[in-house]
Order: sequence, then C-alpha cells, then structure tokens
Amino acid sequence: MSGFDFNRRRWVWLAALVVAGNGFFPALWILFTSLKTEGELMRYPITYLPAMPTLSNYVRAFTDQPLWLFAVNSLIVATLSTVLTVVVSAFAAYALTRLRLPYRNLILQCLLAVAMFPLIALLVPLFQTMRGFGLLNTYLALILPYTVLSLPVCTLVLASFFQDIPMDLENAAMIDGCTRLCALFRVVVPLSAPGVFTAAILSFVNAWDEFLLALTLNSRLTMRTLPVGITLYQGEFAFPWPIISAALIVAIVPIAILIAVFQERVVSGLTAGGVKG
Amino acid sequence: MTTVPASPAAGGAIRHRLTRLDWSERLLGFGLLAPAFVLLATVIVYPVAVLLTTSLYRVDQGTPAGRAPFVGFENYLDAFADGRFWTSTLNTVIYTVVTVPGALLVGQGLALLANLPFRIKWPVRLGLLLPWALPVVFAGLIFRWFFEYRQGIVNDVIVRLGFEAPQWLSSPKLAFVAICLAIIWKSSSFVALVLLAGLQSIPRSLYEAAEVDGATRWQQFIEITLPMLRPAIVVALIFRTITAIQTFDIPYAMTGGGPGDSTETLAMYIHKTTIDFLDFGYGSALATIMFIVSAVATSFYLRHTQRDRPTRKPA
Repeated sequence: MSGFDFNRRRWVWLAALVVAGNGFFPALWILFTSLKTEGELMRYPITYLPAMPTLSNYVRAFTDQPLWLFAVNSLIVATLSTVLTVVVSAFAAYALTRLRLPYRNLILQCLLAVAMFPLIALLVPLFQTMRGFGLLNTYLALILPYTVLSLPVCTLVLASFFQDIPMDLENAAMIDGCTRLCALFRVVVPLSAPGVFTAAILSFVNAWDEFLLALTLNSRLTMRTLPVGITLYQGEFAFPWPIISAALIVAIVPIAILIAVFQERVVSGLTAGGVKG
Repeated sequence: MTTVPASPAAGGAIRHRLTRLDWSERLLGFGLLAPAFVLLATVIVYPVAVLLTTSLYRVDQGTPAGRAPFVGFENYLDAFADGRFWTSTLNTVIYTVVTVPGALLVGQGLALLANLPFRIKWPVRLGLLLPWALPVVFAGLIFRWFFEYRQGIVNDVIVRLGFEAPQWLSSPKLAFVAICLAIIWKSSSFVALVLLAGLQSIPRSLYEAAEVDGATRWQQFIEITLPMLRPAIVVALIFRTITAIQTFDIPYAMTGGGPGDSTETLAMYIHKTTIDFLDFGYGSALATIMFIVSAVATSFYLRHTQRDRPTRKPA
C-alpha cells in the first residue's frame, strides 16, 4: 500500500484507533457503567468515567439473580456441545476427505444447506419434540441443537486441514499395524491440531452466544444460560443498568479472553466458511 | 480366475482386491458419517416433518393434544389475512434491506482500515473480533443503554451539540433507526473479518503494476480491490441476508417489538404466537413461510459458493 504522504504513520494510528474504538467502546462503556454508584448514575448531565468506582454492582449482580448458576449452565452447555461437535465433525470430515465415498459432494452440499437453516423456523417443532421427549429444561435440549448449528462449519474447517496431511503418513501408520480409526486419532487429528482448535473455538462461541433456543427450550430459572439470564435483571419498568452492566462484564470477560488468546485461529476459521452473523 | 497366468489376471486380482477394500472403506465412511446424520435427523429432519404437519392442523390452547382438527391450508390463509403478519414481515424486510448494505459498507470501511500496515496487530484484530464474539442479545442490551432517554450516551452527545434529545425507543421511527444501528454495529465486524481476509489475499504486485501505469488510489480500489473482493463480498452478503431474515435478539432486547408492534420482526411474531399464545398450528404456518423465504436465499447461496469455491480456499 503506497501513496501515503509524509505523515502516513499518523493516519495509520488514526485508522487503528477507529477500528479498535469501534470494537471496544461499547464494552468499555458498560465497564464504566458497572463501576458507578446508583447515585452517580442519576446525575445529569451524565458522567463518563466513574467518580467513585465501586464493586457493589458486581455483588448485586450475583445476589439479585443466580448469575453464577447461569455461568455454570453456559459453560456446561458450551463445553459439552463443543466436544460433541468436534468429535462428530472430525468423523464426518475424515470420511469426506480421506475415504473414497460415492455422493461425497452431495453429502457436503447437504451439510452446507443445514448451515443455512433458519433456526427460528424450527423453534416450534423443536419445542414440541423436546417436550415430547421430556427434554425441556435439560442441558441436552440445548446441546443437541447447538451441535447441529456448528457441525457444518466445523466439518468444513476440519476437512480443509485434513486435506493437507499427506496420505503417506497415514499409510505408514497403517503398515505399522494401526487401523484406519487409529490412524485418524493418532496421525490425522494430532497433525491438524490447529484446525481442531479452530473448530472447537467456533463451536464454543456459537453455543455461548445463542439466545433464542435457550430462551424457549430452557425456561426454568435454574437452567437459564448467561445470554437469557442477563435479560432477567430488568423489572417491568425499571432497568438497573449498573447491575446489568456488571453482569454483562462477567459474561463477556471469559469469551473475550478466549478470543484474545486464540485470535489468529478464530480469524482463519471464519474465513474458512463464513460462519455466523 | 486363480490359474490364469500373465498380466490381465494380475490386473483382475488387483481390481478384485480393490473392490473389497472399497467396500470396507465405504462401510467405515458411512459409519463415520452416521453420528452426523443421526444428529441432523433428530434436530432438523424430524422437526421439519413436525413443522409441516402441525401447520396443517389447528393446534392451540383450546384443542386437546392428539385431537387437533385438520384444517388444511387454513393457517396459511389466516396468515395472509393477518395484519400483524404483514407488519412483522414488512419490518423484517426493512431491517434486511437497511442493515445488509449498511453492514457491508461499514464492514468494507473497517476492513480497509484494518488492512493498513500496523506494527502491533492485536488491538485492531481484537477490535474486529470482539463485536463478532459478543452475544447478539448483549449488543441489543448495550445499545438500549446507549439510546436511553436521560442517561444514554447518544442523547448526551446530542444535547452537548445543542440539539434537543429525542425519545429514541418510544417513537416507532426512531426505535427503528436505533435498532438498525445496533444491528449494523454488531454484524459489520463479521463482514469486515471476511473482507479483510479477502483483501489480504490480493497479490501486492497488482497494485505495484497499477502504480507504474499511473493509476490513482481510487482507480486502484475500483479496478483491482473491488473485483478481487467479489467472492468475499458475495459470501458476506448472503450470510448476512440469511441471518437478517431471522432477526430476533436485538429488537427483542431493545424494544420488545414496541412501541405497539412497530418494530416487531417475523421471528418475534412466531415466538410470541407459539410460546406466549401457545398457538402451535398458526405459528408453524408462519415458520414454514419463513423457511421457504430462507430456502430461496440458501439455494442462491449454494449456487454462488459452488461458483466461487476455487477462490475460497481457507487461509
């Protein structure tokens, strides 16, 4: 990229500020709000930085609603569905890339079509089905749909990594007495560890963020996940913004750390399939 | 076959062995695909069957389970005569028509900025990733706080600039604007990430050659960047369109569909019909209509990905 004049570094700084500011500002504003006292929040005109930072809103966030329980629920649902997604999509990706199967393309197309399926359209029958099986208000009610939600993307990501592993390595393992399945777990999966990681993070974020199904299928308070739980702080007319902000920060921090640590993996995964809105 | 000498026999034997190998390979292959298929069958295929059947019956609070009367396409006809269905559909269309190009424009801008040569890359990359990773409903909550009448930052800025503070979320038109802005903020980062990857795959030599030929930066953008980005733009556009059709979380968090039904989407109406009013038959018909619309968009998507596949090798 050329064509910049002498103060090009300043422009680059400005660009960085715009992009980072756009991304970070809402979270930063919520952080400030969460540290303000109720009295300060009533002040007008509003203050920007908290005058007397307090952690009392965080205490209230945990006592007004079972926030800890919401977080545990979210963690259990997201972790289990991630494990299930990675295993099932690793199987599928292996079958689709390493084995000579008929209708390979058709199968892949079906997977992609499912990726596009409007979840809301299935809300009604999923509710009926889960109710029929007595699965409403269970972890399984969310784990199963979340797994399907991430399955196509994870299969695509893993398939693209599996493709790059030389067949010879697998053959060598099999000559050494490994079965096909053992070659998958001893050779192919370890060598595509970055891909497995990417798939895992994408499916974890998908599950951690999902709102509509969690709202509908698990309506019991003790089975709520974080996105749904945090909408419960509002009264009919009152919005305790400092407490909501504190709860939001508690819910955002884990996913933000995950994203910050694995940012390169996430970016490569996103570009592998174009994933979620 | 065993006693025939020379090469044809050898070839035959090998072919024979290969077919047996083929069979074990196929068996293994479909065995490995089985879990995925079982999941798809339970979570997608069976519910779709339930959806289509339910939409042909009157299944609501008044009718006991298992004795719902068959009403044919009555639910669909009801939908077409239902003003609230049309309002929510129109709202969904407006959200889509406004936020998809909006997110594309903002995302393109962010991607161009993020593609500049930074010495430290993580703040910019994280600035794009954070909005993407944030739960959609959180974006809705945060923007509701932004647009709060008295304590919101938006009105604070407006007042400081010397204008009168509007009631954002209790006026139908302004609530619409606020919701669109929230959706664009939330979804533009995803668009930017996809486009940024596209930008980074454009060979630098193209720009150098254009420079030699004396092309301005604007000409370079129009003649090189945009055409080379086309596949990425198509992918981002279609993904955004399909998710925009399902818009739920942000209006739900910001206005709950109000004031009145003025910001309600089709997804919200389906949710209300089935979960609040327990009218499963009618809700299923509405969901089927949405499914058809989305299926049209999906087929469009699949045609395009097929055409663009060679250029979309993952980074």
